[in-house]
Amino acid sequence: MIWHYLIRRLFLLSFVFFALTCFAFSLGHLFPGDPLVNFSGISQPDDELLPVLVQQYRLEQGYLQQYLAFLQRILQGDWGLSLASQQPVLHEIIRVFPATLELVSYALFISFVLGVPLGLIAAIKANHWTGRAISSIALLGYSLPIFWWALLMIMLFSIGLGWLPTSGRISVLYEIPVTTGFMLPDILMSGQTYWQAALQDAIRHLWLPAFVLATYPTTVMIRFTRDAMLSVWQQSYIKTARAKGLSRSQVLYRHGLRNAILPVLRQLGLQFSTLVTLAMITELIFSWPGIGLWLLDSINQRNYPAIQGGLLVISSLVILVNILLDILYTLLNPLARKQLHG
Amino acid sequence: MAKFQWLQQKDELGPLSQLWHSFRQQHAAVLGLILFGFFALIAVFGPLITPYDPYLQNPNAVLLPPSWDDAGDVRYLLGTDDLGRDQFSRLVKGASYTFGIAFITALGALLLGFMLGVLAGMSKGFRASAFNHVLDLALTIPSLLLAIIIVAILGPGLVNTIWAIMLALLPQFVHGIRNSILQQLEQDYVIAYRLDGANNWQILRYVILPNTWEQLTVLFSMALSTAILDIAALGFLGLGAQSPAAEWGLMVAEALDLIYLSPWSIALPGLLIFVAVLSVNLVSDGLRTAMRKRQES
Repeated sequence: MIWHYLIRRLFLLSFVFFALTCFAFSLGHLFPGDPLVNFSGISQPDDELLPVLVQQYRLEQGYLQQYLAFLQRILQGDWGLSLASQQPVLHEIIRVFPATLELVSYALFISFVLGVPLGLIAAIKANHWTGRAISSIALLGYSLPIFWWALLMIMLFSIGLGWLPTSGRISVLYEIPVTTGFMLPDILMSGQTYWQAALQDAIRHLWLPAFVLATYPTTVMIRFTRDAMLSVWQQSYIKTARAKGLSRSQVLYRHGLRNAILPVLRQLGLQFSTLVTLAMITELIFSWPGIGLWLLDSINQRNYPAIQGGLLVISSLVILVNILLDILYTLLNPLARKQLHG
Repeated sequence: MAKFQWLQQKDELGPLSQLWHSFRQQHAAVLGLILFGFFALIAVFGPLITPYDPYLQNPNAVLLPPSWDDAGDVRYLLGTDDLGRDQFSRLVKGASYTFGIAFITALGALLLGFMLGVLAGMSKGFRASAFNHVLDLALTIPSLLLAIIIVAILGPGLVNTIWAIMLALLPQFVHGIRNSILQQLEQDYVIAYRLDGANNWQILRYVILPNTWEQLTVLFSMALSTAILDIAALGFLGLGAQSPAAEWGLMVAEALDLIYLSPWSIALPGLLIFVAVLSVNLVSDGLRTAMRKRQES
């Protein structure tokens, strides 16, 4: 039965990827300008190249043939050239993508570490002033426009107090060879003599963007944990556990948290796409060299092959995370598994 | 066990009054409603209270701080920007841009989403399944990213932004409406009504609609806060409203270069976006709590 479920998820995944590539393909025709330029990224193909490209992209044939050729190119890793830099789009994406992943994962980590315990406290002490205060702060954080929040933090910590730098991942003083693309592991593996100083500097650069980006998921986590815990707390098995004589903390961890954290996990998947959007804005403000900043630059430069590639990568990431979390939820939750059988 | 109530019997009230009764008991929600009404009033009647034309430039009063500052001028209540335009007038005008247009956008998405959601909820079999898959896809693409892509196709501008955000909000409406319709269709009273010989249209009109409008209000308020944030964010990114429009997000972006000189010109428009979104969220939270209480009672 579980295989049945996994196969259905796999089917959904392939359908979604199919639709996504269709969308990305149609963008080449929808964007202003010549489809050939939009697909290949070669702004002025000369007379020798032109027939070759038309042949390769099957532009004289129907849309179906063109789409198949497009799919083939995507799978082969030929994503066209960036109109701005004339570098292969895929290489640029591979260069900038780890920075985004790094930022998003630190923000998610912060939101887990802060959000789940705070949500628990807010649920247990729902009528106490601590619970109310946590819920109100969560609502405030939920309503913050991230760009304004980021600018306020910059005004306070960078301009006012002068504690933290405003932009970039690391000071230009340090030269760190790129191996994984993730800054902190790269520094640890670099073997440079100044690695400790570089690490400190990188962490100083990381604080503000990670904190700003973590604000939204943390508040979401607090709200969901609180709501889930409140509804679990009313279940009869909690009363049974209390009646058995388990202490409050035993009930909380063994029966409460385990059941409450599962819906939170699922909601996290739905919120992931918002998180990625917010990461794009955060990157713009802190000049964090990730895919969001790269994509926004590409939009300003009307760099259509790059927009196409960026859309494909970001949406695939969101879809993968969604489906993985959904599968994880089903595997961990006996009730959801039971529904499959029913 | 039912308690004896000396004065008013709560159960005798209609559903709407019951909802209002439990909504009124939440002070934060009422505060949110007042703020919401305030923004709505300003968005509609703003031009009547602005002391200056929001686009009138005064070269003799550039970058004035708010009037309570020592260097401020009492004629310009909240100071002026780098072109000598009155901040107060611009912020009031911004309410009709950011708040008003977000309202219209969310309303449009609600109407469209309602039609599609009803279609999706009432259809069965392959059509419903295919629809679900398309919906899943649309829900996974981040709304702002979708808006950015649409703007990239259509070109930047306020009207294109409205379309883009409307389309980006659509999936969550369709999803929510479809789910609440499916939930209603499972109820016993729907089956009873069907056994009485009601057709699909009658079930929709007389059973499902009256039972889902609360859900619709909550969906709308959630979409409204997203719409405000998205319009402001697109304005900030330079893809939405274009200069010299007094859109709040755009005003923050234009003041970026002046972050050292006049921090208030960043702080004020952002504060208004924040309070507007907060008021919508407060109302939305209050509505949800009131709905839950009403259903429990």
